[in-house]
Amino acid sequence: MAFNIPKEKAVPLGCITPAPVTEQPMMITGNWREYRPVIDHEKCNLCMNCVVYCPDACWQLNQAEDEVVWNWKYCKGCMICVNECSTSALSKAYELDFEDGVVRLEKPF
Amino acid sequence: MASKMKQITIWARGVVQDKEGRDVANGIAIAAKSEGKFTQAFDNYVDLPDRVNVPLRKYARISDTEIETAYEYENEQPEVVVVMDATIVKGINILRGMQKGGTLVVATDRKPEDILKFIPNKDLLSKIVCVPAKAIVGHQTVDFSGSEGGIDAVGLGQGISSAILGALAKGTGLVKIESLAAIVKNKEALFKGSEAAVVKTL
Repeated sequence: MAFNIPKEKAVPLGCITPAPVTEQPMMITGNWREYRPVIDHEKCNLCMNCVVYCPDACWQLNQAEDEVVWNWKYCKGCMICVNECSTSALSKAYELDFEDGVVRLEKPF
Repeated sequence: MASKMKQITIWARGVVQDKEGRDVANGIAIAAKSEGKFTQAFDNYVDLPDRVNVPLRKYARISDTEIETAYEYENEQPEVVVVMDATIVKGINILRGMQKGGTLVVATDRKPEDILKFIPNKDLLSKIVCVPAKAIVGHQTVDFSGSEGGIDAVGLGQGISSAILGALAKGTGLVKIESLAAIVKNKEALFKGSEAAVVKTL
């Protein structure tokens, strides 16, 4: 069976897929979070461990400000970044201590 | 007919509170049935309950007359909403479909005011009940027995669900605490939860 896949949509050999460049508004997962990571910018040495290890790409480097930025909309609170932080700049904090970070969906999905 | 039927929606976290949430729904339904009411209790199939920490729903219905809506598998107008993990109030419109004068039961060690500031449509509530369930019991049962029609090998109400059931009985008066004590395994937590529950009328 032959498939006619346009060249620009074909996945290259080795299954390299392009990294997502935009947010996916259909799958907001911020309400899975019980605890959130809190960054102390004084301690952070920009080792990029959190950016690399985050399964949902919720840590991104802001090159203009020279600091990593947290995306509360999609962070599930898995705390991998807190475990991987090399300078213990990240700490775990209970979600109800914060007024912000509200993702109030009508239905779970 | 529909006005007599009381709908109870339980919000819990996926996998980690799956069994506990089911125990609250089943426990209130079995206890009400033993008092001669007509009841239903079931899980929601839409919420993808097999993902850790995803907010999911469990439902119970209690009625004085026979329940005719046997094939409606969602509670459209819940009278009582139980939140097993307090952080869910930031993530979901938990009072969706509630008519004025409902009750909210939250498992938290915080004060009712701290929870209410996260609920924009709190004027629907007539009562809020806060119970420090995790502090009373200290553990949650993570188990899949009893799910999707399976046999419940662990038993009903071993973890935080028994404390929440005690608070639910105290706050809403839907069932007597004696009929809950007859079915719940962790009876100590049931009575402790009933004692420790903070009921605030709004």
